[in-house]
Amino acid sequence: MGRSVKKGPYVDPSLLKKIQAQNAQREKRVIKTWARASTIIPEMVGHTIAVHDGRRHVPIYISEEMVGHKLGEFAPTRTFKGHADKSERSTGMR
Amino acid sequence: MSPRKQPEVWPGHILVGEVTAPFGIDGSLRVLPTTDFPERFVRLREVTVDRLGGVRAVEQARLALPMAVIKLKGVDTRTAAEALRGALLMVPEAALPPLPEGEYYWHQLVGLTVEEVGTGRVLGRIAHVLRTGAPHDVFEVDRPGRKPLLIPALKSVVREVDLGRGVMSVVLLPGLEDVSE
Repeated sequence: MGRSVKKGPYVDPSLLKKIQAQNAQREKRVIKTWARASTIIPEMVGHTIAVHDGRRHVPIYISEEMVGHKLGEFAPTRTFKGHADKSERSTGMR
Repeated sequence: MSPRKQPEVWPGHILVGEVTAPFGIDGSLRVLPTTDFPERFVRLREVTVDRLGGVRAVEQARLALPMAVIKLKGVDTRTAAEALRGALLMVPEAALPPLPEGEYYWHQLVGLTVEEVGTGRVLGRIAHVLRTGAPHDVFEVDRPGRKPLLIPALKSVVREVDLGRGVMSVVLLPGLEDVSE
């Protein structure tokens, strides 16, 4: 069963406080969090949040299309080391 | 559970797939593509197979995403295909499709020295590229005597990639170094 609409999305209170404080000061500082279950809300867009993956904090830039997802979805807890860095994978700067 | 070892890719070659199982009875192979361009399997005419010690012609190939099914010349029975379980399929680096400007293959980035713009401070070397599920990847930068630094692959952070000099110039976001400590 999904979460009640009446309650609104779950956002960790201390994370929300940090986001709101930075928004008020128009600041963009990387925020460290363990709150993987927090929902990404529009106030977070444009911030970089370092989400804990159980071992370290993975810096994730929050963009509009990520709103509604959970922070934990973007910091996988398992590292797949089966395929070499010498595979045909490419990356670009977003 | 111990982490799986990185497969040993031949020098000058790039891994495009790994044989996971035989397919059918005619020696066809089920392959897990390790490429961003799985459609390349359909056009593949020959491929280097580590277990067979060299290049083999591809008789047939089709995609059944997320897997590919290929038939190699000389592998004609299920028993022969079974022996190739876990084999690596590679292509020469020169055979890689060109990328649009601003895009790089992972093997081009791994090993680059990361420097901070302005100060010229050397932060370390790129050890891995992490695919996180976010729209951008993350670079893991090894730093001597310190925990690795994770740098998001963003235009606002990575200002220049100079493959000739082997240097990536970055502007660190405020607080980025603190979260990796």
